[in-house]
Amino acid sequence: MIWIDGVLVSRGEGGVYGERMLGDVRIWDPYRSKLSALYHLGKGVELTNDMRVLYLGAAHGTTVSHVADYAEVVYAVEFAPRPMQDLLEVSRRRMNVVPIMADASLPEQYAPLLESVDLVYQDVAQPDQAIIALRNCIFLKRGGTMILMLKTRSVDTCREPGLVFSDTVPRLASGGLSVKDSTWLAPYHHDHAAIICVKE
Amino acid sequence: MMQSYWFGDIEEGTCQPYSGGAADSAERILSLHTSMEHYVPPDWKAALDCGFCSDRADYLSKLRAVCVLIAEGKIREKYKSKDTDLLQMTRTLDELDTVINLLTERVVEWHQVRQPSFSRKYRRTPVHSLVRMIAQRSGGGLGRVTGDIERLSETRTVLAREVSARADEVMPNCSALIGGLVAARLLLHAGGLEPLARLPGSAIQVLGARTALFSHLRSHTPAPKHGIIFQHRRVHNAPREVRGKVARVLAAKLAIAARLDFYRGVADLAFIEPAQARIDAAGEVP
Repeated sequence: MIWIDGVLVSRGEGGVYGERMLGDVRIWDPYRSKLSALYHLGKGVELTNDMRVLYLGAAHGTTVSHVADYAEVVYAVEFAPRPMQDLLEVSRRRMNVVPIMADASLPEQYAPLLESVDLVYQDVAQPDQAIIALRNCIFLKRGGTMILMLKTRSVDTCREPGLVFSDTVPRLASGGLSVKDSTWLAPYHHDHAAIICVKE
Repeated sequence: MMQSYWFGDIEEGTCQPYSGGAADSAERILSLHTSMEHYVPPDWKAALDCGFCSDRADYLSKLRAVCVLIAEGKIREKYKSKDTDLLQMTRTLDELDTVINLLTERVVEWHQVRQPSFSRKYRRTPVHSLVRMIAQRSGGGLGRVTGDIERLSETRTVLAREVSARADEVMPNCSALIGGLVAARLLLHAGGLEPLARLPGSAIQVLGARTALFSHLRSHTPAPKHGIIFQHRRVHNAPREVRGKVARVLAAKLAIAARLDFYRGVADLAFIEPAQARIDAAGEVP
């Protein structure tokens, strides 16, 4: 990862979403992007230019654009039409973003388009986030990493975020993912946990 | 076992590349039924070996092109449904209300500092008459803004009529039960006709009463009796002791109406008439 005086940046064409620039590199704001927050907390995996990434819940493609600055290719899955319009625009300018309009909980819809990947990054606002992660494991290489951004409020708005978190971890483990690390994204994002797993 | 990928079919190690054009390729990909049980992620080199692409960059650029085509088609399909335009219209209408109210409050305050003797106490001037009065008497910025409020109010009236007419068309059964405007707002809160058709009556009953509902679920305050459907006269005019009952019966009938609207799309008198009678009966005090 590229750090300049404690600021996380990525190298690529700017102006995607009005992000600030530092010279000719793009500042990757931890308050806007959960993945950036994870790096600011000293966790996460190093993104390299030979990495193939499956990004579930790509939304408007802001974080996707930063990941694409680092990785070889990003398969960006998004379901809703409005954000997809923005994501398509990002992919028109970035040759290594493959936009896939499909439901992340139904991998059979996009399986013919994919290949095996080194990293699965999941940031979806769905109640069954652990199931979605497990279903998408099939695209992950053995030894590959899964970063799950657990939106505890999407799983159950009323339950204590800590309980939702401690429920999710063993379910991931039972599906062949070994949980290596986890952290809450405070102070950057509230009620969000990051779980980093490796496929066995 | 044969595996089908976007670039072609692979059977026992031999790849049969797909040779059709981009549009046909998109259609073929959408029609593939992949069984996840037997699925193996493809190696892009298979596409290279069978001559589908010339190198990695070519592979990705072809893939991107077909994915963009598929996504654009799906977006177009989603926006085609009749409710998307109605959703935007209703949202605009509700936002117009907010803007008009905010601006009116502001210009009245502004007018007040210009006219030290002005007070609204003991006067029954309706707000729109007040706005007209300010517009006529004031010049400069205040006069302009107040004039704009009047024009916005006209726009709002026209738009409200349009929303109501469109709702009658898109959701005839729901509109027959609670009127076009309230039906459109229900649609707005559910996020579309399909999600509305999937909601149970109990959820429709409290659509739009989010704060009260979550306060109920979290800290066991009394459950909300009604959300948006309160806006309909049958609910807010009902005597207090049966209001919850009316809301419940109306919501249950709306759940059926929404399904008729989504799956059939035409008004069904055989449903509407008995439903109206049932809702009216619920409003009678025993």
